[in-house]
Amino acid sequence: MNLITRRAAWAAIVFLAVGASAVALAGPAFASHVSVRTTVPAEMTVGDTVRIPVALSAADGAPLQGATVVFYLHASFAGVVGEAEIGRAVTDETGAAALPYRPRLAGQHEIRIEYVTPGQGAVEEVSTVFDVIGGEQLYRSAPGIDIPGLNVGLLIAVVAAVWTILFGVALLLVAIARAGGEGGAPGGGEAG
Amino acid sequence: MAALSAWQERLEETALAPVRRTGLRYWALVAFLLAVIGWGVYAYSIQLRDGLIVTGMRDRISWGLYIATFVFFIGISHAGTLISAILRVSQARWRTPVTRMAEFITVVALVCGASFVIIDLGRPDRVLNVFVYGRWQSPIIWDVLAITTYLTASITYLFVPMIPDLALFRDRLSGRTSRWRGWLYRAVAIGWVGNVAQRRSLGTAIGVLMILIIPIAVSVHTVVSWVFAMTLRVPWNSALFGAFFVAGAIFSGIAMLIIVMAILRRAYSLQEYVTEKHFVYLGYLMAAFAGIMIYANISELITHGYKMEEGVEFQFRQLFLTQFGPLFWFYLLGGLVAPIVLALLPRTRNVPGMVLAAGLVTTAMWIERYIIVVSGLRVPLMPYEPASYAPTWVEWSMLAAGLALFALLITIFTKVFPIIAVWEVAEDHEAMLARPDIARPAALKTPELAEGAGR
Amino acid sequence: MSDRADGRRDDPGAERGASTAPVEGRHGGPQIGRRHVLRLLGLGALSVAPLPVLPTLLRAAVDIDEPPRPQADAARTADGRIRQWTMIIDLRSCDGCQSVDKPPRCTAACIEGHFAPEPMEWIEIFEGELPGGGTQFIPTPCQHCQNPPCVNVCPVAATFSTPEGTVLIDQDRCIGCRICMAACPYDRRFFNWGNAPVPPESLLADYSPEHQIPVRKGTVMKCDFCPDMARAGTLPYCVQACPQRAIYYGDLEEDIATNGKVLVSASRFLTENHAYQLKEELGTKPRVYYIPGHGAAAGRDAFTPGRQPTEWPWVERVEGAVTWQR
Repeated sequence: MNLITRRAAWAAIVFLAVGASAVALAGPAFASHVSVRTTVPAEMTVGDTVRIPVALSAADGAPLQGATVVFYLHASFAGVVGEAEIGRAVTDETGAAALPYRPRLAGQHEIRIEYVTPGQGAVEEVSTVFDVIGGEQLYRSAPGIDIPGLNVGLLIAVVAAVWTILFGVALLLVAIARAGGEGGAPGGGEAG
Repeated sequence: MAALSAWQERLEETALAPVRRTGLRYWALVAFLLAVIGWGVYAYSIQLRDGLIVTGMRDRISWGLYIATFVFFIGISHAGTLISAILRVSQARWRTPVTRMAEFITVVALVCGASFVIIDLGRPDRVLNVFVYGRWQSPIIWDVLAITTYLTASITYLFVPMIPDLALFRDRLSGRTSRWRGWLYRAVAIGWVGNVAQRRSLGTAIGVLMILIIPIAVSVHTVVSWVFAMTLRVPWNSALFGAFFVAGAIFSGIAMLIIVMAILRRAYSLQEYVTEKHFVYLGYLMAAFAGIMIYANISELITHGYKMEEGVEFQFRQLFLTQFGPLFWFYLLGGLVAPIVLALLPRTRNVPGMVLAAGLVTTAMWIERYIIVVSGLRVPLMPYEPASYAPTWVEWSMLAAGLALFALLITIFTKVFPIIAVWEVAEDHEAMLARPDIARPAALKTPELAEGAGR
Repeated sequence: MSDRADGRRDDPGAERGASTAPVEGRHGGPQIGRRHVLRLLGLGALSVAPLPVLPTLLRAAVDIDEPPRPQADAARTADGRIRQWTMIIDLRSCDGCQSVDKPPRCTAACIEGHFAPEPMEWIEIFEGELPGGGTQFIPTPCQHCQNPPCVNVCPVAATFSTPEGTVLIDQDRCIGCRICMAACPYDRRFFNWGNAPVPPESLLADYSPEHQIPVRKGTVMKCDFCPDMARAGTLPYCVQACPQRAIYYGDLEEDIATNGKVLVSASRFLTENHAYQLKEELGTKPRVYYIPGHGAAAGRDAFTPGRQPTEWPWVERVEGAVTWQR
């Protein structure tokens, strides 16, 4: 019995050692840190594009290249509160990445940057908060027919011209009526 | 000279006859037409009570017989423009005896056409919104503008050349007719005595109107076509619609004129003035416009059919083969080819032949308007089964009432106003007699012959 | 022109011994001289000059109030900008409610919420054919175009665009001419052909173009993007009802959208999923986007066609109501 327990324990220790060394070999991915250096200007306006920089480094400080980070914006709309993904970026050889972001609402923006270790699912994240000001309308809905320069004026001009001429004809009829009263005896009743 | 006065006398008697004597047939006809109109009024009251659900129109095919008839009547109204104005501008003398009838048709057709738009409205009680809230960018407003302008111009153009004839009526009928008639003629003749100044004003007025009314008429049916062409429906989305509709309008106008001419000629014995020559010449014009319509149809069909865009294949199938096949082929063969054949064959180049051709054309043009409206709306816009449309008794009753109103107004016109432009026909006749070197057509070289026949 | 009249003037009159008025020359005669003509034309022009303001004058004369239009209180973002409503329909999730074995829930919710009269489906599920033979379900509300053919052709401005980009109908002004129905390329407008089958309680509402009840006979109706609900921060009926959460409602101004559960950045959602619009080539610029799919995310195989027909669950209907086929 002693022999069995001792063998089992020895197997376990070997197993753990192998596991630990395996983990140690895979070390850098497991032990990276995500740090954010933000050079976001103090005042941002709605509609401006800013770059949110992020840098990834391993536990030993070496830059982490080719890692994908996901950016989320905390938002609330129509009674739903949550996070909307606003972009992804891949780190370059210096371990840095930046996301071009265009704030669309004034107020405080809370951005969470997340890095998921591939294959292990561990999530590293960091948040940053900044303020945005501004209130200019970005979208303008402009339906309708609008022919610059002419539009309705031309139509009105044409219609007015035609009715003026008809009015002139009406005045000619008045003239005929008036001429019947004065001058010229009736020519035997014949119209010809 | 004696022959001339006798001829003149006969002309005036012919013009005055309808007003002087009214037979039983007239009253019977009026009674019948009033009955048809009365039935239409009843049908409309049902529609007002229950809503447009009493028609066959539904969401997918939302226009039908009413709009087709509206376009048809507005098209007919171009009879006057062509005969009265275009031929007057080109100084075609032969048109003179028929100008008055053509102008009658124009005014009456416009009135009937406009009423069909009102009948088609879902809320006729709000029709004044069109004037209070009207949007200049809407094709319907363009319609309203164009049709009111054309109606005003047509009524003026009917009235102005009629003034000397109304004066004739006033003078010849005074004391021998009812008081209201006497008063009417005195009023509308606006003191015409025929002096130089009046003649000059009349000439100017007619000259201005005959030039003005041509662009107005062209614009009217163009904007009517734009009610369809300003939408995105596949069969309607064509730049050709304006010209196509104007050509079709003049075409159907000529046909209706031939029919009305034939009827009035028989009813009021106008054979001496409205001769076979008039029917043949109008038949030629009709054949020419049939040729133009064939060209327009070929243009449309080939340019769409060559490419077979989405929806076009469906449209072609329903036009040529399935849903509308019989109607469309009747329109093509009976309405476009037959008039040309009838005008070219010597055997049918006479009054009955031309009247037959005109009847075919009128029917075919109404069918063509109906096909444009209904087949255009039937092409499915999204993936659904195509709908079907069949007019109900209410719609047919309104169509009958509209045609009856058209006939009734013309009938009443002939009893009140001179149906022939007496003074113009007389002037043409004298001008022709004064030029013995010009060969005269058979109808006009017979003062002696007519005397001999004794009227 | 006058020449002909002059030319014919002399013979007949002289023959009959009609005395003619003294002719004072062709121009400057007692009737119409050039100056007179100019005066006529001037008067005529003045008389038709008021034509463009005629509608306004008529309105003032008849003392008609402008019908209340929801312009002043447009829906706004938190920082005061006007919202630009949009809808994104994720066809990867729409299976025509085959998985719940019921008539499509979005249509049903819209009908119940708005008391839509019987044959009207303001949001309608069309089944389109896919290349290769399968089908996809396409929920089609009013597209609320930015270049709306219906608004362009309406003669009385009864249908109009709001600042939020939606298209509404004022049933108190509509004259029922139906040119808007001919103009809409998406078959999204519906007419009240008769006394519409609606439940009697719908007649008790205060009328507003934003919810279109009580129903007016002889006028046009359609999907309105539930503007009163959206302004209050609630999602439209169809969005709430979809069991697969396939319909997203959003604001292009704030660039955000939601299906009731998930928030997305609208621009990113559209771009990354290759969204498209219906009949884009027509230039109507719709506010409704579609993400291509056939309901696979809901477990649907593209080759299983068919959905349940829509139902109108009214137990009681107004008097004299008659339904009709579309």
